[in-house]
Amino acid sequence: MRTFKGYIREDGRVGIRNHVVAIPVDDLSNTAVLGVAKLVRSVVPIPHPYGRLQFGRDLQLLFHILAGTGSNPNVAAAVVVGIDDSWSNKIADMIARTGKPVEAISIEGRGDLRAIEIASRKAARMVQEASERQRTEVDVSALTASIKCGESDTTSGLASNPALGVAVDRLVDMGATVMFGETSELTGAEDIVASRIPDPDLREKFHKIYREYVSVIESEGAEMLGSQPTEGNIKGGISTIEEKALGNIQKLGTKPITCVLDYLDPLPPGKGRLCFVNTSSAAAEFITLVAAKGSVLHFFTTGQGNVVGHPIVPVIKITANPKTAAAMSEHIDVDVSDLLSLKIGVAEAGERILDYAFKAMNGRLTAAEVLQHDEFSPIRLHISA
Amino acid sequence: MSFKFAIHNKADNVGVAVEDIKAGELVAGVYLEDRSVGPTVKALEDIPLGHKIALRDIEQGEAAIKYGRPIGRATRRIRAGEHVHVHNVVSMRWNFGRR
Repeated sequence: MRTFKGYIREDGRVGIRNHVVAIPVDDLSNTAVLGVAKLVRSVVPIPHPYGRLQFGRDLQLLFHILAGTGSNPNVAAAVVVGIDDSWSNKIADMIARTGKPVEAISIEGRGDLRAIEIASRKAARMVQEASERQRTEVDVSALTASIKCGESDTTSGLASNPALGVAVDRLVDMGATVMFGETSELTGAEDIVASRIPDPDLREKFHKIYREYVSVIESEGAEMLGSQPTEGNIKGGISTIEEKALGNIQKLGTKPITCVLDYLDPLPPGKGRLCFVNTSSAAAEFITLVAAKGSVLHFFTTGQGNVVGHPIVPVIKITANPKTAAAMSEHIDVDVSDLLSLKIGVAEAGERILDYAFKAMNGRLTAAEVLQHDEFSPIRLHISA
Repeated sequence: MSFKFAIHNKADNVGVAVEDIKAGELVAGVYLEDRSVGPTVKALEDIPLGHKIALRDIEQGEAAIKYGRPIGRATRRIRAGEHVHVHNVVSMRWNFGRR
């Protein structure tokens, strides 16, 4: 069995990074968390535009995402800053269930400057304590990862996605958990995905999730060219959503799909799984949600050159398009364009991805990390109250 | 002759250029599933890397087949060697009353 050196957290889950994060509950608190990150070295601020007047499932999803991000095993400790006490404490309490250090600070009645001071004092201590955490050798079955493609072109379906599929099969065989999703981008291949879900109840759950998602798109009746497929997809030769979906699913490997998660479902404990997660197909929204469900490493295949990253989850960028590999080399971690010209086989390309993944798991920074691609995009389900 | 396009499935009527193809070029394909030699087609127009070339004539209303599955419907007759893309193929799923 293969091993990597990770950070074993208080709840037993294993991370591959050791971040201290500053999470704003709402848009009004972005200034304060950015202030903390200015004052204290290596604090990762995670600003976002939401958190006010949300309600119902939409609010639950925001809490799920904010608390899930703080709870992610790539995080050593977290400070949560919100305008009011109540929601700040609520998110901090959800993170505290993992056993990791977390503090909530509110701004009302105190002002930004005093809130920044209090949060910075706590964050400074957390950073010092986190710096003492050591990496420990663990089995790869402790890994929870995720996969998505973006700015895909036909080279994705021909080469980079099948290569990633090989790596996914190997990871699942070794006991790791791999999450995929992109509900809308399964259109034209949703029957193939469904046929890979052995459990009839889970298969029905998948069908229901898919139908609900796509009915919203269909009810708009809007022109979809440029949105799905995107302008980048079209430039790269993808003509329809069906063609995009059939290329998309090449990265799913061959294992049965044994868990199906809706937006608010937590990832249950388990090993050796391929899991469907109901998600947007937009890159940053996708990674933001699966990171909140516990993915510590994301594999991202691209054709035309998507540059997405995440504040706490390393994103490994893979391309089989030789033009993109040359023109956007600073963004590409793994070049498998020699698979496109059939100079190597798909198994070899999959091993190349896996080898790079182990480097990243052991601490090597990915291109998206060094280029400071820290996209954090919570999914909204409906309007604010 | 070295191949310039790949074919996902033997049932496909389109191939994917793995290099830029120039109009007038006689180009050969390779089947991905077993790496056997596929058809040779004369390109009727430039086909950039990643774009699709028709392997045989596709009639108006007929499905373009890739991965052994329909990926869209031809909006006009497409001749073998033509570029197959959004100008002559539309989605059968998300084409809300457009064409």
